[in-house]
Amino acid sequence: MKVAYYSPFPPERTGIADYSALLLPALRARLEVVAPKRGKHARAAVSVYHVGNNPEFHGWIVDALRRDPGVVVLHDFVLHHLVAGLTLARKDVNGYLRAMEREAGLPGRLLALGVVDGCVPPLWSTRPEDFPLAGEVLDLATGLIVHSRHVADSARAAGFAGPIWHIPMPVWPAPAVEPGAIDGDPVIGSVGFLNANKRIPQLLEAFAVLRKRHPRARLVLAGPEAPGLELDRRIAALGLEGAVERHGYVEEDRFWSLIAACDACVSLRWPTMGETSAGIIRVLSLAKPLVVSDVDAFSELPDGVLKVKPDEREVESLAAALLFLADPERRKAMTGYAVHEHELGHVADLYVAALEEGAGGARVRDVLLENVAQAAGEVGIEDSGRLAAAAREVGLGG
Amino acid sequence: MRIVVTHAQVPFAHGGAEVLAERLTEELNARGHQAALVTVPFKWYPRERVLESAFVWRMLDLEEVEGRKVDLLIATKFPSYAVRHPNKRVWLVHQFRQAYELDRTELGEFGESVLDRATRRKIHELDRRTLGEAQKLFAISRNVADRLENALGLEAEVVLPPPQELDYRCDGYEDFVLSVGRLDRAKRVDLLLEAAAAEPSLKVVVAGDGPDRERLEKVAQSHKLNGRVEFAGRVDARALADLYARAGAVYYAPVDEDFGMVPYEAFLSEKPVVTTTDAGGPLDVVADRRTGLVTEPRAAALGAAFRHLREHPEDGRAWGRAGNEVAKRVTWDAAIDRLLS
Repeated sequence: MKVAYYSPFPPERTGIADYSALLLPALRARLEVVAPKRGKHARAAVSVYHVGNNPEFHGWIVDALRRDPGVVVLHDFVLHHLVAGLTLARKDVNGYLRAMEREAGLPGRLLALGVVDGCVPPLWSTRPEDFPLAGEVLDLATGLIVHSRHVADSARAAGFAGPIWHIPMPVWPAPAVEPGAIDGDPVIGSVGFLNANKRIPQLLEAFAVLRKRHPRARLVLAGPEAPGLELDRRIAALGLEGAVERHGYVEEDRFWSLIAACDACVSLRWPTMGETSAGIIRVLSLAKPLVVSDVDAFSELPDGVLKVKPDEREVESLAAALLFLADPERRKAMTGYAVHEHELGHVADLYVAALEEGAGGARVRDVLLENVAQAAGEVGIEDSGRLAAAAREVGLGG
Repeated sequence: MRIVVTHAQVPFAHGGAEVLAERLTEELNARGHQAALVTVPFKWYPRERVLESAFVWRMLDLEEVEGRKVDLLIATKFPSYAVRHPNKRVWLVHQFRQAYELDRTELGEFGESVLDRATRRKIHELDRRTLGEAQKLFAISRNVADRLENALGLEAEVVLPPPQELDYRCDGYEDFVLSVGRLDRAKRVDLLLEAAAAEPSLKVVVAGDGPDRERLEKVAQSHKLNGRVEFAGRVDARALADLYARAGAVYYAPVDEDFGMVPYEAFLSEKPVVTTTDAGGPLDVVADRRTGLVTEPRAAALGAAFRHLREHPEDGRAWGRAGNEVAKRVTWDAAIDRLLS
């Protein structure tokens, strides 16, 4: 069976590109897969589209999806930024107004007009989670692959009635990396974009608490800094100069080396766009103790991962988690969580199952229901509602 | 209790699975329950018939009959477990193996077309839901339980089914190896014939009939085994008991078999069983050099095993008696106790 696989790939700097670079060889060992380049198309039994919130990486993929509906891998449920890129950035004001009206009725349209007129701040920056704008992508999807129950539930709540396959993110095969030389005890790491959503201010405050009890503690921040974060000022205000080691964007080898050097990693996020972090999965693959935000998909991570709620006691809870992880024995006990369900071969098998069903499942169902309805019709039964309900119960319905 | 036993029936075929469902019903009735066997014909080709057969089961109403509640439903093989019942238990004989471990083998059913692949996945989904909704899951062998867990992540308790009632006895150890079972490719009788070709002292009686008989007879002819291999066809209970009673050893080496009654029947006749390392269910009870011999699935290895039994008859007798102790513990009392627990 031939599959057309639409996704960003390296050197594009996005977690989904890295994800596809990892997954594609495993899929190709199981299926015939073509990966059209940006703007290109391929004929196949089924097409799979990786859709995330960034219009730069995913705009062309939605264009392809519009041309040939297929299975969508929905990495984020909140697609407001993507939709803004597909509409406003292309001078399609009406498209944005329609999307907002569909999402929130007339108030949504009026709000969108305010954005267009510049009297309302861009919603994709201020309130994207209130207006996810996933409607068009859900309409075009013949099936959804999601990484978390959270996204699946959100899609169902938004009215998506097609098949949904929950496929965990794959873990990267742990590379044989030399840990970077970082002096500290313990060494705490946070990798990925540094912005307010990643709770970097809260992490710094919690780290300051840890540092008081463990003066040799060190914090590694690896990733580009978002404008306005004022990292230097925050570090100075907390008296953490010399305790925080900063790296900008790091290449693959250095990325692994930094994670390997850490005693524990922190990967917080709030608010979320319903996404699952590829960075987190990388940390899991090295079996490092990990602290995440106890929200959405992150709440579904294995029990061995510490979870911190982003509430008014977030800093206090996070500090407690860091103090807990300062003990080497406790860290050791936390590194044995099961990652089987994220194992690459297992994930690829789940993809094959989803794509095989996505390619022909609807036709198989139609043939069955046609035959049953015909048999019912032959004996004078025209109402096939009960038949359809029974079919749905056993996974044969629409 | 009013109990319904469900079973998918291939008309004119009557093998171990059919015997199991019939016996379960009889044994439940013998213990004071009111049990009835419900069967529906099963056809697996063309492709769409598989799901239609499953769907027919789903449309049945077996929750009550003539206004009286059915307390318990025990489903057996695919797709009879697709039926609805609030107290559904499954004693799994097998799933539709062509959609699982037999896929893309010579015994597979599904090709590479989009519809074939999707149908196979729909069968998985149907199994996941209809087995998953059962109150309790049992399997007839470790092999069947392991397959279920590997494929769908569902756990089943192993409840071994007792063999059919025959006049089991041991009249001696005559110089022939007995093969019992339906003659289809999966039972791998051709391997026994090849072993006979490799081991000139080996004499074989093949009891059973099936779609592979003509081919097997040609295989026997091509190996010039005339006179050393007898195709006895389908034999009645008395003749079968006689064959077991007289045989020197019993061959039973299907490919990855679900369970297989034959080793138990052989053991009740105090006969050692020769099987292969890839036979599946039989390996639950055929232990190498304890209740029989387990060899690589190669003709030469099997030939050597039969030669050993011929040259060391005391081993065969001891292993047959040891098997007898194992088989005597597999009773209907024990099975029904678990199924109704």
